[in-house]
Amino acid sequence: MSTGPILALRGLAKRYGAVEALRGVDLDVARGEVLAICGDNGAGKSSLLKVASGAEPPSAGEISLDGRAVSFRSPHDALGMGLATIYQDLALAPRLSIAQNVYMGSELTRGVGPLRLLDKAAMARGARALLARLNSTLDDMAAPVEHLSGGQRQAVAIARALRWDARLVLMDEPTAALGVRESAQVRELILRLKQEGRTVVLVSHDMRDVVAVADRVVILAGGRKAQERPVDGLDATDLTRLVMNAAA
Amino acid sequence: MRAVVERYGTALAGLALIVFFLVFAPNFAAPANLINVVKDTCVLALLALGFGFALTAGELDLSFADVASFAAVMAGFLVQAGHGAAAGAAGAVTAGLALGLVNGAVVTRLNVPSLIATLGLAAVARGLAFWITQGVGFTGRWPTAFTGLARGTTLGVPNLALWLIGATTFAWVLLKWTKAGAHLAATGEAGEAARLAGVDTPRMRRLGLALSGAFAGLAALLLAANLSSAAPNMAGDFFLYAVAAVLLGMTMFEPGRPNVPGTVFAAFTLKALGNGMVLMGAPYYAQDVALGVIIVASVAVSGTILRKAAFRV
Ligand SMILES: Nc1ncnc2c1ncn2[C@@H]1O[C@H](COP(=O)(O)OP(=O)(O)OP(=O)(O)O)[C@@H](O)[C@H]1O
Ligand SMILES: [Mg+2]
Repeated sequence: MSTGPILALRGLAKRYGAVEALRGVDLDVARGEVLAICGDNGAGKSSLLKVASGAEPPSAGEISLDGRAVSFRSPHDALGMGLATIYQDLALAPRLSIAQNVYMGSELTRGVGPLRLLDKAAMARGARALLARLNSTLDDMAAPVEHLSGGQRQAVAIARALRWDARLVLMDEPTAALGVRESAQVRELILRLKQEGRTVVLVSHDMRDVVAVADRVVILAGGRKAQERPVDGLDATDLTRLVMNAAA
Repeated sequence: MRAVVERYGTALAGLALIVFFLVFAPNFAAPANLINVVKDTCVLALLALGFGFALTAGELDLSFADVASFAAVMAGFLVQAGHGAAAGAAGAVTAGLALGLVNGAVVTRLNVPSLIATLGLAAVARGLAFWITQGVGFTGRWPTAFTGLARGTTLGVPNLALWLIGATTFAWVLLKWTKAGAHLAATGEAGEAARLAGVDTPRMRRLGLALSGAFAGLAALLLAANLSSAAPNMAGDFFLYAVAAVLLGMTMFEPGRPNVPGTVFAAFTLKALGNGMVLMGAPYYAQDVALGVIIVASVAVSGTILRKAAFRV
């Protein structure tokens, strides 16, 4: 079990009314790899992540985690099984603090029986430690997330995934809307996850992300898998050409 | 410096206003008058805290004043029918809670935006209150066990002040120190993110609206006990004041978010404003003008969650 793929998708399909966003995708994600998913707008990349993470039910097909068939009723189900997803815009509550965001939905409490109060000190400590693992220099865990830079926000979102000790992290366009330096920071974060032995599936439009962090790339086109290959030896231009050819 | 102004600016302005009245308004500083202002604050603060619970979860409860009137009428009906003070008190709170639960069910199960759902329920509550009373209202003799809930004192402290302290503490602990409070805030601030993180957001929206109803019921109980009467629409005048208290409160302490210290301090400031203006001989309608300006200005300063709640129609 520990040698097979961590995530396996078989014949995965997703239909939104008349739109077939995914038309039978087979995909194995190997343990410890960074897999990039590329494709033109509307190719089905986000749909793939949503279905794989339990945010949306598949119309057909099977998902197995660690070789066992699973059917998540919600992303929270998936979190509990070690699969965390970072949705680009929806991940954080801007006016809540860093600690509140990291522990959202899984707050630490102390007390007896039903008389449990939030353990804010422990959450601040925990959030700081998780962020330190990501080489983030954020210090004030009570600061609202809205004052952070885009790169720092991604660090907070990733810290939440670490909080769940996620073995598999799915990310949808984590560098979209970020500046050059911030994108580089996010790539660092992804490499940190890989160093810790975690598996990352990364959707990105930015081929520089793919070249910098990914081991393999899967190209989707029209809801189907058009290409699947190692990134070795490819540069951003090659990748762009592959995506364009697949879409044509 | 800017952060201090942002967090405490309007609170300091409120404080300055109170100091102004202390110095210039005749009799404002008299202990009896100040105690009256605190007592007056109680019902208003309870209603405002309720509205704040719902708003924390991202829902607008426009029904709380009519729910309170209905709950007061329920208390009046039970007490006047001879069921006793306890039944009357329980009846008011239960009526408020029940209507809050109805709001929650309509909003989360029938997917009606709270702005509309609570407006509808307000009309229903108003109609029921008139139906029960036939429009006349319960006056007559009320048992002192009932009126004492508001008018009595415990260890020398007016009971209304104790209710205010108790309700404020409850709301503050619930919102700041419990998991439910954290989940309410996450739901209101970023519903989709909260849902994806495993927060049961529909349940939190129901909780916010239920608490709003329960607090309206408690406020109604104290209002009826204090006035020895229960009439349809008796809480109607509190609507704008309570909304103003929450909005003004959102400009202080935790700017942009409904918060307990802000709400209660704002409720006190509004009551002090009304009291001080009367003592200084300002005409009654001047209060309405001040209230309107405060509401609009507060939202202009910080009203993000309110905007979100109001425009998710
Ligand atoms: N909730 C939805 N309802 C209806 N159609 C949808 C929905 N979500 C996605 N689609 C459609 O499914 C197809 C695939 O969308 P998806 O978001 O997966 O593409 P994508 O590869 O992520 O594109 P992009 O690069 O623009 O993010 C598109 O045609 C899209 O319009
Ligand atoms: Mg997408």
